[in-house]
Amino acid sequence: MSMKNKPIQLSRRQFLRGSALIMGAGLVSACAAPATPAPQASGPSTAPSGTGNPLAGTQGNEMAGKTIEMSFAVIAGWPPSQAPIELFPDFAAFAKEKYGYTVTARKTEAPFGELFQKIAPTLAAKSQEYNIMVSDSQWLGALAEPGWIVRADDVYAVVPELDIEPFSSLVRNTYQIYPDGSNQRWGFPQMPDTQGLFVRIDILEKEAENYKRETGNEMPLTYEDLSKLTVQQWEPIWKYLNGKNGMGAVAIQQSKEYDFFSCAFHPYVYATGGDIWDPATGNVVGVLNTDANAKMLEYFRSLQQYQPAGSQDFGIGSVIDLFVQEKVVTAFQWLAVGLFMIPPELQGKAIAIPHPKIEFEGGPEEVIGAMGGQPWVLNKFNDDDRTRAAVDFLKWWYTDETQRKFLAKGGLPWSKKGIENPLFEGAPPPWFKPFVYMLEEGRSRDFWHLPEYAELLAIQQEAYNGYAARQFNDAKSVLDSIAAKQQALLFEKGRTSTPVPDALKNVQPK
Amino acid sequence: MSTNTAIPTVAERNEQALSAERKSVIRKSKFFSFPTLLLTPILVLFVLLNVIPTIWLIGFSFYRYSLQSPDAPRPACVDGPCIPLIVIPTNIQISPTRQLEIIIPSVPPIDNYIKIFNDADIWGSFGRTLTFVILAVTIQVILGVLLGFLFWGSARMPGRRLALTLLFTPMVITPVASALFWRLLYDPTFGAINFLITTFGGQTINFLTNNEWAFPAVLFVDIWMWTPFMILMTLAALGSVPKAELEAAEVDRMSWWRKLRFVIWPHGKFILMLGILLRTIDAFKTTDLVLTMTRGGPGNITDLIGLRLYRYAFASLNIGFSSALAVLLLITAIAFTSIYLWVLNARRRSEEEG
Repeated sequence: MSMKNKPIQLSRRQFLRGSALIMGAGLVSACAAPATPAPQASGPSTAPSGTGNPLAGTQGNEMAGKTIEMSFAVIAGWPPSQAPIELFPDFAAFAKEKYGYTVTARKTEAPFGELFQKIAPTLAAKSQEYNIMVSDSQWLGALAEPGWIVRADDVYAVVPELDIEPFSSLVRNTYQIYPDGSNQRWGFPQMPDTQGLFVRIDILEKEAENYKRETGNEMPLTYEDLSKLTVQQWEPIWKYLNGKNGMGAVAIQQSKEYDFFSCAFHPYVYATGGDIWDPATGNVVGVLNTDANAKMLEYFRSLQQYQPAGSQDFGIGSVIDLFVQEKVVTAFQWLAVGLFMIPPELQGKAIAIPHPKIEFEGGPEEVIGAMGGQPWVLNKFNDDDRTRAAVDFLKWWYTDETQRKFLAKGGLPWSKKGIENPLFEGAPPPWFKPFVYMLEEGRSRDFWHLPEYAELLAIQQEAYNGYAARQFNDAKSVLDSIAAKQQALLFEKGRTSTPVPDALKNVQPK
Repeated sequence: MSTNTAIPTVAERNEQALSAERKSVIRKSKFFSFPTLLLTPILVLFVLLNVIPTIWLIGFSFYRYSLQSPDAPRPACVDGPCIPLIVIPTNIQISPTRQLEIIIPSVPPIDNYIKIFNDADIWGSFGRTLTFVILAVTIQVILGVLLGFLFWGSARMPGRRLALTLLFTPMVITPVASALFWRLLYDPTFGAINFLITTFGGQTINFLTNNEWAFPAVLFVDIWMWTPFMILMTLAALGSVPKAELEAAEVDRMSWWRKLRFVIWPHGKFILMLGILLRTIDAFKTTDLVLTMTRGGPGNITDLIGLRLYRYAFASLNIGFSSALAVLLLITAIAFTSIYLWVLNARRRSEEEG
């Protein structure tokens, strides 16, 4: 028989043996420790090279004639992070004129909760899929600790003009520094944000007479009078307004999504003089699960009585819809979306005031709002050309002209110089005044910048939202369960030396 | 030449036939014959895309590894000192400064699995998922069979084809689109359902944020989406019943119940069981629906196990722990699949025995 006619045959036993060998090799490979990244394996070089240090941006004509495509990762459904992309043609013109290269932009977007999930695997794979990213402030540790992003200090060292003096230390602590309390800066401020209360002043005016007749009290109608009211003093007004004209009195975010409930509730915790954890010791137990905070959680939930149905699912977008479509008279909201809360058709009919103070038994009337807003971060694994383009982008972004255009698109300033921008003199947008007030020292506070933020957040959002929906009804047990789970996580990760006390082990919300 | 020697006897012919059969059996037993070689590309892809990732997943499940870990993965140690490792050096250079080392724990570090078994939240999600699967599949089967019989028995009904097309539509819509669509319908302020309820004097219902309504509301959407699949399987099962047997049953004037029991059921049960098992496996994996509609809320009322796994893997980036959970879910899915294979083979077994 010739070789041509001989079938190539492998017995089943031989095949199985071969397969077992391949699987075994695979299993061993799976168990093998992946390589520790070699230092400087990729990313921009930090030392000046023959063509200049990329972290300094483009020097001379070293990029002339090149074509660069830059990729941005931004937050979907969050207009402030879209504005830079809309302004990008200006940067392309700037880069062409000043440095002689052609640059185009590609945008990838995902909602708050999902953007980190989108960018993290690419960074873990040391990819330059996204060259510049809008990061939430809470992600700083998660991005900085594994070494995925460029340290802002390294850029400032060679481009000092980017190191702009912020309006208050809140900007630095929220958008730039990791670890907390250190002097290491990682983020470049993009859009600061604080909380406020949006009020349909036209409806208050319409109801003022009836309100006085029914309650004997004057309806506060000016910015100054409304700003003086505490949440507790707002209650009789909300009680009166609720259900009138088919509208709810107030909308407060309590959704399980991302940090919506947490950010709305935290000012009530801060009002007691308390906090959600102790950054110095890493402890949650004994800090979050206090009787005072439990009382505040109960009070926070009691405000549902003045809100439209379904408040347990209110988030940023739904609160905008409710307010703009005349379903609520007042709404707690981020001031960064002021342009969308007060569109042209509501101008003159609505105003924004700072987050009202909160009364607490035995304590001062206090407001410490939650910080919002985001920094830019630069991908550590960008090649040198993209690093240069990214730094050039920041140089362009922080120019007075670009900032003016950004502010005109509804952006908010964060630097001393920005706040004094002539755009805000005369008739600033209605959300500007409360924004500046809330950005003053000590008026707002951010929470955790730890790499474990996602797990910490998931733990408390689930429990808080369960309490909001009356799945649980004992506020103290809700806080105990959050504290125990977060303490266990932080202990496991070595962020605290205190384990969960026995009394709280296996505690469940009731 | 004698003809006697040329013509084989019956015994010789039998012997030759047996020999040829033996050769054929031997040839068949060779795994890599030409047809099998044609399958090689897909087998290679299967190994690359399925087998190796699964082995990798199992490997990771023994490690305490997060995507954010700046260092190499550490074996997940049970309480106390770390489990000893066997380190096998190799000559493979993986970076300018480092050679590949193969590290094998001398005993499997099962800390991730221990944590899963001690995690009340995970068990809660498992319980909810099982409740979801049992309720969803049971209702879908009942409705699917009833509607299947209705359409089977009304072949001349005017508009039957249009009705079937409309009925199958939910099944072909992307689950995320369906979820979003129902989320909007359920909305207490802007939703059409509450508009109708309040128009007729009812009270607004917070379908997705009320702890009593949320689970049934999500369950209803799953039933809406997948009942058509069970109708399809029922029609396929009924289509497999030989017409001759049905006609014989008619001639014999068998009652409807006896016809179902002795004619339809023996033929249709295999396809119907296949449908039930496919739905069971699919319902067990439900993630997209709850992620879009409720994110597992309010609280954890609709937090199914698939969603929890998604959170551990993609929000917390906790690869070791989520791999361990994925392995357990894989084992559960394999258990379902085994039942499915057992049911599929039941027909062959019954034929062999019969």
